[in-house]
Amino acid sequence: MGDAKTRALTKTFILGGASALLYLILWLLSEHIMAYSQQGKWFFIIPIAIAFVFSAVHGAFTGYFWDVLGVKAKSVKK
Amino acid sequence: MMRHYLTWENLIIATLFIGLQVGIWAVYADPQIGTETTPTTSTALVFEPAEPKLETGEKIPLSLHGASGDIVWHSLKGKIEGRGDQVYYLAPAAPGKDTITVTDATGNTATLTIEVSGFLDLQIHNVLFLLFVGFVGGLVSGFIGSGGAFVLTPAMMSMGVPGIVAVASNICHKFPKALVGAMKRAKYGQVDVKLGIIMGISAEIGVLYGAHIQEMIKTRMGDAGSNLYVSVVFVVVLAIVGGYVLRDALKIYRSGNMAEQEEVTKLARWVQSIHIPGTMMYFNSLKARVSVLITIPLGFATGMLAATIAVGGFIGVPSMIYVLGAPSLMASASELVIAFVMGLGGSIKFAWSGFVDIRLAMIILAGSLFGIQLGAIGTTYVKPYMVKLVMGIIMVLVLLSRALMVPIYLSTLGYIDKIDTGIASVVSNISFSMLVGALLTGAIIVLYALWSGWRAHAVEEQAAEVAAMRTSFSLPESTIASQGVFDRMLVASDTSEFSAGALRQAINLAQQDINQLYVMSVLVSNPEYESLVPQLLQNEKQPLLAHLDQVKVQAQQAGVSCEALLRYGTTPYEELVAEAEKSRMSVIVMGRRGKSGVMRTMMGSSTAKVIGFSPVNVLVVPRAAPTISGQPIVVGVDGSRYSERAAAVAKQIAQFLNNAPVVVVSVVYAQHDAARREEANQAVQQTVDSFQAEDIKAEGIVVEGRAAEALVGEATRRNADLIVVGTHGRTGLERVLVGSVSERIIGLASCSVLVVKT
Repeated sequence: MGDAKTRALTKTFILGGASALLYLILWLLSEHIMAYSQQGKWFFIIPIAIAFVFSAVHGAFTGYFWDVLGVKAKSVKK
Repeated sequence: MMRHYLTWENLIIATLFIGLQVGIWAVYADPQIGTETTPTTSTALVFEPAEPKLETGEKIPLSLHGASGDIVWHSLKGKIEGRGDQVYYLAPAAPGKDTITVTDATGNTATLTIEVSGFLDLQIHNVLFLLFVGFVGGLVSGFIGSGGAFVLTPAMMSMGVPGIVAVASNICHKFPKALVGAMKRAKYGQVDVKLGIIMGISAEIGVLYGAHIQEMIKTRMGDAGSNLYVSVVFVVVLAIVGGYVLRDALKIYRSGNMAEQEEVTKLARWVQSIHIPGTMMYFNSLKARVSVLITIPLGFATGMLAATIAVGGFIGVPSMIYVLGAPSLMASASELVIAFVMGLGGSIKFAWSGFVDIRLAMIILAGSLFGIQLGAIGTTYVKPYMVKLVMGIIMVLVLLSRALMVPIYLSTLGYIDKIDTGIASVVSNISFSMLVGALLTGAIIVLYALWSGWRAHAVEEQAAEVAAMRTSFSLPESTIASQGVFDRMLVASDTSEFSAGALRQAINLAQQDINQLYVMSVLVSNPEYESLVPQLLQNEKQPLLAHLDQVKVQAQQAGVSCEALLRYGTTPYEELVAEAEKSRMSVIVMGRRGKSGVMRTMMGSSTAKVIGFSPVNVLVVPRAAPTISGQPIVVGVDGSRYSERAAAVAKQIAQFLNNAPVVVVSVVYAQHDAARREEANQAVQQTVDSFQAEDIKAEGIVVEGRAAEALVGEATRRNADLIVVGTHGRTGLERVLVGSVSERIIGLASCSVLVVKT
């Protein structure tokens, strides 16, 4: 039981770190990213790809975040 | 597995979806935003400054010379504030070229190209505000499938983000958010992916058409016309749909049947009964086949509304519930799939034109993903009507907010008398506050529903757990009472050091023969405590469960199988005695508190109570007591029936320990006369004889002194590892107080003491 909790905590920290890193990269490269994405046309892939990557990493992190805090979905006992 | 999904139906859906995305690129490859109609220019109109250069978000005054009559200003990306020949121009967030077009009363037009450089300067308070609104919007979306966007777009615009960039960035945060929310709710089995995609595809077409209408209105009637259109759509749609949803939710609430299965409406039953060959599709959420010719217009309307007011769900969710017959929770979850499909298409459209400010989108996403997870979790705790209630309340509040603005737009367009700018500004602020209020109200209801649902669930679980804790060992009640002294040992164990000796001794005894132990812990609690502070109880339970696990391991390592039981109870000794009686235990094994002096002569009060009330023998084991191996056994006799019973049990133990030697001790006081001493001698001799008759080595001794001290002294002198004494029955006062001699013996002895109950 303790192991499962530790594993969940580790995952949360790793995903949280990865999410923070993504935001840091976005902030550092924002000038370049904005300059390209605002040209439009095929550069549309940049914002769309960023949105997908962030949703995967940050989405997984937020899921674990509430879980670790004990906010879980109602468990249905069969 | 894959083959299961490779159906013609799914293939058509996928093709439609991909085709639509490709279509959007094709249409917007030549964006109308970039194409500007060559104005019929007139050199009569002159701008000042003639070649303005400014940063994103910057505001400058602009003047126009040579115009006559009313002037219509139009900026492609930025914002024009004011009227007449002197206005303010607010540069867009996106850098690049912007074009301003002016037309005067005589039809003269002129264009001005403006160079906008730099980026939108994001302030920390802007970021925090977006994170917060993102979170609240996400919370509501996770719960009702959409919402939040109607606040985000104006919120971003209030920071100086141009409308189109605000819409684009909003939609670009919406599709990843909807994706995460849909995946989360799919885990709870609430999503009908097929219905979501089918509706999503038609909704995307609706978005494109809706956006086209918007642009047309904007071109013909300007910003105010566009705003009027949006507000009227808001008011009409929200009044009809929102009013109906809220009425339905309140009806369910008043009926008191909140937990009952939702009824499928008459309309939905009729829709499900329509059969149009070649168009029928089975949907899991409806548990019925419905013609796609019915879902298409519903999806289209959802998209139209999304393009107009940014919240398609206000049509999407109610239409799935009331027209198609989907349960509320599945409708709101499937709406997230629609939002994803629409959002992806919309984002591609806006990103193709370069309007997406990905920084804004990702900041909102950072907050909204926390919110959407929480909102999705919330749906598992609430009754379905809550989705309708939250949606209905938000819709009605938004309706009021937009209705307030209608007169302002009507006045701007000149349909009614001009409204004072001051009043207009106040009304506009109130309207925006109401929007924020609508979202916050929704969020508060969701959080409250989550909290109360979670608490109710926790109490239910706790009650179930407590009920489970009241169970007994697996021994059936009808089990025939055990014969041997140590056949069925119930060890009272807790995390304290005092019970360690008892466990060790019990394992040792079990190893000799039966190899089975029953270990029990009692967690002190009461029903009120259980329901009020379940968390506290949980915290106390954990160490006990861990302890019992450890006990099992310890027993198993010694080759003894062990059954452990954790019970809740107000009084531990009652639980222990009740269990011993119910499971027909042969002996209760427990520790003793107290080490020296007065403490040593007093047993732990629990131990005393267990001995007093126990129907079976009790073995009290001090922490450092030697292992019972029969070296020798000391039994106290006084000629009473209690001591006869003790002697009989001692005999059984001696045989159990391979004919261990027994010392029979009787104690007399110094003042006892010769007759009393003779009685003692006879009692000892009779007992010794009875042992010897069974081939057990026994010797008898009569010692002088205080009963307990003399008996324990004899046991110590002979290095005895077990003292056996009898005690009174279980009635009257005796039941509460252990015989004072037995009590003192237990308190003084450093070896184990078996109290034999009669």
